[in-house]
Amino acid sequence: MMAQQGANSPEPQDPQAVQIYQQKCARCHGAEGEGTADYPKPLAGTKSLEELARFIEETMPEDDPESCVGQEAERVARYIYEAFYSPIAQARRAPPRIALSRLTANQLRQVLADLVGGWAAAPAWDDQRGLEAEYYDGRSFRRDKRQIQRRDPLIDFHFGNESPAPGTIGSEEFAIRWQGGLYVPQTGEYQIAIESDNGVRLWLNDMNAPLIDRWVRSGDERLHRATLFLLGGRVYPLRLEFMKFKEKTASVRLLWRMPHRVLEPIPNRYLSPHRYQPVFVATTPFPPEDRSQGYTRGSSVSLEWQQALVDAALQTASFVAENADRLAGTRPDAGDRAERLKEYCRLLAERAFRRPLNAQEQERFVDRPFQLHASPVDAAKQSVLAVLLSPQFVYVNLPWEDSSIEPYARAAQLSLALWDSLPDEPLWRAAREGKTMDAGELRRQAERMVRDLRARAKLGGFVEQWLKLDQMHDVVKDPQLYPGFTPELVSDLRASLDLFLDDVLWGANADWRRLLLADYVYANARMAEFYGWQLPETPGDTQPFVKVVLERDRYAGLLTHPLLMSGFAYTSTSSPIHRGVFVARSLLGKFLRPPPEAVAPLAPDLHPELTTRARVELQTSPTQCQTCHAMINSLGFLLENYDAVGRYRLLEKNRPIDASGRYRQPDGTDVALQGARALAEYLASSDESARAFVLQLFQHAVGQPLAAYGSNTLNELTARFREQGYSVPDLLVEIACRAASLPVATNPALSVAPLPTTTPH
Amino acid sequence: MTRNFISRREFVRSLGVSAAVLPWITNLPSLGWASQTRRKQRLVIVFTPNGVVPDRFWPREEGEAFTITPILEPLAPWKDRMLVLHGVCDKIRGDGDNHMRGMGCLLTGIELFPGNIQGGSHTPAGWASGISIDQEIKNFLQSQPETRTRFGSLEFGVLVPDRADTWTRMVYAGPNQPIAPIDDPYQMFHKFYGRQKDQRLVRSVLDEVLADLNKVQALVSQEDRQLLEQHMAFVRQMEEQLKAQPDEQPHAVPELEPGVEQENDRMPELTRMQLDLLVHALENDFARVATFQFTNSVGQARMRWLDISEGHHELSHEPDSNEVAQDKLTRINRWYCEQLAYLVKRLAETPEPGGPGTLLDNTTIIWTNELGKGNSHTLDNIPFVLVGNGLGFRMGRVVRLPRVPHNRLHLALAHAMGHYLERFGNPDYCGDGPLVLT
Repeated sequence: MMAQQGANSPEPQDPQAVQIYQQKCARCHGAEGEGTADYPKPLAGTKSLEELARFIEETMPEDDPESCVGQEAERVARYIYEAFYSPIAQARRAPPRIALSRLTANQLRQVLADLVGGWAAAPAWDDQRGLEAEYYDGRSFRRDKRQIQRRDPLIDFHFGNESPAPGTIGSEEFAIRWQGGLYVPQTGEYQIAIESDNGVRLWLNDMNAPLIDRWVRSGDERLHRATLFLLGGRVYPLRLEFMKFKEKTASVRLLWRMPHRVLEPIPNRYLSPHRYQPVFVATTPFPPEDRSQGYTRGSSVSLEWQQALVDAALQTASFVAENADRLAGTRPDAGDRAERLKEYCRLLAERAFRRPLNAQEQERFVDRPFQLHASPVDAAKQSVLAVLLSPQFVYVNLPWEDSSIEPYARAAQLSLALWDSLPDEPLWRAAREGKTMDAGELRRQAERMVRDLRARAKLGGFVEQWLKLDQMHDVVKDPQLYPGFTPELVSDLRASLDLFLDDVLWGANADWRRLLLADYVYANARMAEFYGWQLPETPGDTQPFVKVVLERDRYAGLLTHPLLMSGFAYTSTSSPIHRGVFVARSLLGKFLRPPPEAVAPLAPDLHPELTTRARVELQTSPTQCQTCHAMINSLGFLLENYDAVGRYRLLEKNRPIDASGRYRQPDGTDVALQGARALAEYLASSDESARAFVLQLFQHAVGQPLAAYGSNTLNELTARFREQGYSVPDLLVEIACRAASLPVATNPALSVAPLPTTTPH
Repeated sequence: MTRNFISRREFVRSLGVSAAVLPWITNLPSLGWASQTRRKQRLVIVFTPNGVVPDRFWPREEGEAFTITPILEPLAPWKDRMLVLHGVCDKIRGDGDNHMRGMGCLLTGIELFPGNIQGGSHTPAGWASGISIDQEIKNFLQSQPETRTRFGSLEFGVLVPDRADTWTRMVYAGPNQPIAPIDDPYQMFHKFYGRQKDQRLVRSVLDEVLADLNKVQALVSQEDRQLLEQHMAFVRQMEEQLKAQPDEQPHAVPELEPGVEQENDRMPELTRMQLDLLVHALENDFARVATFQFTNSVGQARMRWLDISEGHHELSHEPDSNEVAQDKLTRINRWYCEQLAYLVKRLAETPEPGGPGTLLDNTTIIWTNELGKGNSHTLDNIPFVLVGNGLGFRMGRVVRLPRVPHNRLHLALAHAMGHYLERFGNPDYCGDGPLVLT
């Protein structure tokens, strides 16, 4: 559901009930249940409608309970209930506000990774790709046997019975070691696999214990798999070792299956030759987060969530205990070991709370555990656990104790909006020096941070929801009609879309309008064959996807991308309704109610003579449908040139495609459009769709309603977006700065008396 | 022969109990009572590497009147509860050298897959192509509610090298699925009690979380207070759940000496800690099956505490004529036997919880090795010394068998535990069914 303030119009009111209320109730309860001097309590509560009606019947009005009974009591109760009494009515009437929020599951994982994984800066993800390789003449990795050092773009080797380097390395026995980093764009379960005729072992993230150890080749098994949960926006250290000994052939391929994709060689663009530090990954599953407002927010708690939080905190505390000496930079026999561990715990608590500790917190979270436990490792474990379960850590916008916290609060909000995580070292330093109070410095920090992979992951998460990609994991088509539309092809389509998004969101000349207007797609050989496109040249081994420029009047960026076109379609026909709803909600920001009743689409074979367009028009012809479908259908019909798999077509059932439609603009005038290109050009130049994009990105990034940040904020942000050439990273910077620098007075969560520093525990 | 075997088995089945239990149930009030009061049966397999010194290991006699040998001498107090099986051979051939097959086929009774691990002079090999008998029995016990335990089986080790290959693994969950033994007593302890300790910690922390939530609640707006109230309710609910969980261990949790490193010279302490944990696990019924692996096949323990500075494996290659080496090998094997005797002693001293007798009355320990003899690398006459009365075998004797395949011993173990397998491992070596040891 789209979030749109003011769009939640209340149910139509019963005029007679309003009249009764005004006559018999308003005298004490106020015109809208707000209360009066005599009865200051607002008319709001949790009674059911029935209870409320009975209560009114029996007791109201207080001076003459008999004057409002029976049907009259029922009707007025319904009015009161729906207009202002019920919790739902209250929520509807409440002005948008910044609600107290906890870390979402994703934020918690990201925060924990940055909290315990060490505070040193990781090597940058620069433009160097591939893995460092060392080739050895022999079975062991003896320095004097090392013959070749080079960079391999990816691991996909079939040596046959040959040597990898005839002349320097024998073919009978040899060994190879690859090292580097693996970039994981998206959080989820990754299957990692090695296919080999020979002995192999792989370390990923945990460099002490191999993820796959098939150094012993045994029997005919060639494919070795392991699954692990990885956090998006992070680079993981990787080492692969290979050994050939006496086997007739030698081969090795390093593969992965990204979440909801197929197994494929790990593409070159995810590999780096640099060395990276392990990432702490909290693997506890969490219950799904609230997305009822169209964006993920940490606005509710449950027993399941509480248990998951405790599990994740325990996993983290145990990890700290097991790696205590390494993390705190000490040794088991060091004289100052306890002091070092204590200092580590203090720093961790400070980072976790995103501000310095006060005296009580220092005592409670740091000093006391170290007094209680003889073992400093046990003390550290308790300290970390207590910190991670504390409301000061779990809630991201609790009131401050005093105004000295504000520079830190700004830093914390900034890093949450950009990274879903904690301030890094430079931002923390800026907060400590009070520099985050300066708008220019805040922006400089944000501009630096938006180039980090964590910001990419954040934007990737937005795109996933915005384009409904999370609903396109298993797009399946009628195999009779569309042979070749395989899971492998769907996986290619996703890779193609990711490359396109990377290009227009992060590449040179990044411009949001190009999302809509671009006249190219990324395609590999399989896609080109299926869609009948001509690949410009032979794709290289390492870059199977290349840019294919298509006919400009037929194709338009996202709108015609085959993943979206086939995702918003049925198994054998297109779906103008799904496409229209997508354009209306995601691109134009329209609020659409669900259909008044569940409707099954008309089966195509019941109306074999009708085109899809005619069938949809027939089904949605009733008046109560037309309030929404007049718009939905018309937008969807503009994309009718794309069939159920997103292939361009001019005919359906031997009739010419009618891709014409109209759109009623916010000013009430209609605009006539024809086909995808016209729609793209309309959207790219429309203020309405730019505003819709800004609004949705803001709410995703911040997890709060934009309207709570001031009535003019959307206008201002949209104007900035336009001025900055529609750069999405710049918009994200703008949004994060806005969220971080909300003046205290306008933040309702902060409009309470400061916490007295001497509150007894 | 086959007919006899089946009819005997069917007779036993009709009773609903295993043949091994028969001597026991005669003491019980009625047969109908038998299945409910069936005793716990336990099996512990102890592995030490590199073969033995035959003339100082094997008693010369057969039957009940035998003279204890220098290596077996530490077990003398339990001579009447010992069963020495001579003539059991590992007949599995195929890929791999004898150390590899000795290890990988010892408990699996089946060939190794071809692979890339090169041993001495034979063809390279991979992992075993089948499940090991301890896991087979464990799966059987876990499949039934009355014999199911928390872990089913436990795989202990002492100084097992930190690499996975055919020489370091004897336990297999299935073909190509070696199971790594846990050789770190702290890790084993954590496996037993880690969670429980954590739960106590969580309980203590949650109390304070409630206080904190209460404190911040006063500071937020009315609307936000609701969220914190709910949060507190769930914290309380979780506390209730934690309180409702009873303390699991009926017997005192062993205290481990802290900071014993995984080093050769700490082998005696590590062994003692692991054995104490094993006894504790059996006493608390964490598992009915366990393996205990000292080092690995070709293990190189340097028993400096016995004034032996050479590695065990290199010594084991010395010829019979090297008296000094044979003496050292005898002392090494005797040291292993002393560890076994410590385990036996602990089991004999520990009362069977909830039942008559001691743990040793219901536990059979099998001491074995991947080779018969170190310098010849023979897989004939693999040492199998059984102690304790868990399997209902007739103890207190030496049995000389006519070079029988060890698969038949595995069948006898399974049958004695109530698991009537017809074959195990390579069926070609199961021909005459389980060895009759009762």
